[in-house]
Amino acid sequence: MNDGTGTDQGMNMNAADAAAIIAEADARARHILRPDHRVTFLVWGVIWFVGDGLMWLAVRDQHPYHGPNPGGYAATVLLAVLVSLASVGQSRAETGVGGLSVLRRWTFFLSVLAGIGGAFAIEGALVRAGASRPVVGVFEAVAPIAVIGLIYLARFSAQQAWAVAGLGLWLVIVAAVGAYTGPQTVWAVIALAAGPAFVLAAAVEQRLQRA
Amino acid sequence: MSLDELDPVIHAPARLRIMVTLAALGDGDDLSFTGLQDLTELTPGNLITHLRKLEEAGYVATRKNGSGVTARTSVALTDDGRKALENYTTVLRQLLDSASPS
Repeated sequence: MNDGTGTDQGMNMNAADAAAIIAEADARARHILRPDHRVTFLVWGVIWFVGDGLMWLAVRDQHPYHGPNPGGYAATVLLAVLVSLASVGQSRAETGVGGLSVLRRWTFFLSVLAGIGGAFAIEGALVRAGASRPVVGVFEAVAPIAVIGLIYLARFSAQQAWAVAGLGLWLVIVAAVGAYTGPQTVWAVIALAAGPAFVLAAAVEQRLQRA
Repeated sequence: MSLDELDPVIHAPARLRIMVTLAALGDGDDLSFTGLQDLTELTPGNLITHLRKLEEAGYVATRKNGSGVTARTSVALTDDGRKALENYTTVLRQLLDSASPS
C-alpha cells in the first residue's frame, strides 16, 4: 500500500496502475469512512422490543386502562435518547472524520430530544384539555416512535441512504397503524414491528459494510 | 493522448491515494492527519511531503486545531482539488479507452 519510497514522481505509473490505485483507495476509504449505524440500531431494536413488550405485559389486562408504570416508561424513553446521544460521533470519531458530519449528528440528537420533549408537552396539553387516559395512552405509545421515524425519514432520504430512510418510513407506518389498535395492543404492535425492524436494519448495515 | 496530459501534481501513487481518500469524505468533512495516515499507509514524513505539494497546488487544505497534546491536524480536499481529481479521472478514462482495442 505504501509507495514505499516517498517518491513524488508518477513517471513509472501507467494509466492502468493509476486506475487500480483509484479503485483500491476509493473502496478502502468508503468502507472505513462509511458511517456505521449497526450498534445504534441493534441497541434501539432491543430497547423497543423489550421496553414496549414490558409495557404491553403491564397494560394488557387493565380494565379500565390506567397506563404503564410512569417510571418504566420514562426509563425506556430515556434509554432511547441516551443511545442516540452515544451514537453522536461514535464511529466517525474513531476514523478521524470531523467537520460537517459531526455537526449533522449533533443536529440529529437535538432533533430527537426536541421531538420527544415536544411530544411530552403535547401529551400534557392533551391531559389538560380533558383527554381520557386511553387516548393519552395511545399518544404516549406512538409519539416517540413516530418522532424518530420522521427524523430518520427526513435526514436519510436527503442523504439518499434509502435503507435507513425506509426504516424511518416503516416506523411512521407502525406508529400510525399501531394507534388504531388501541391503548393496550399498540405496545405489542410497536414491540413486534419496530424492535425487529431495527435489528433487520442492523443486519442490512452489516451487509453494506461487507460489500 | 499521452500520460503527459495527466495533472503531474496528482499523478504520483501516494498523492493519488491521498486525493481519492479525501474525495470519499462527505461535503464539509475533513480527516485527521492520523486517520489519513492509517488509510493511505504512508509514513508521517512521506505524508507531510505529499500534503505540502498538494497544498501548494491548492488541492488540499490543512487546519490545526488546539495545541499541545490535544492538537489535531485535519486535512480536507478543496473545491479546486475536487475539480482537479475529476479532471484527472476523466483524462485517465480517455487514456484507457484509447488504449483498449475497440
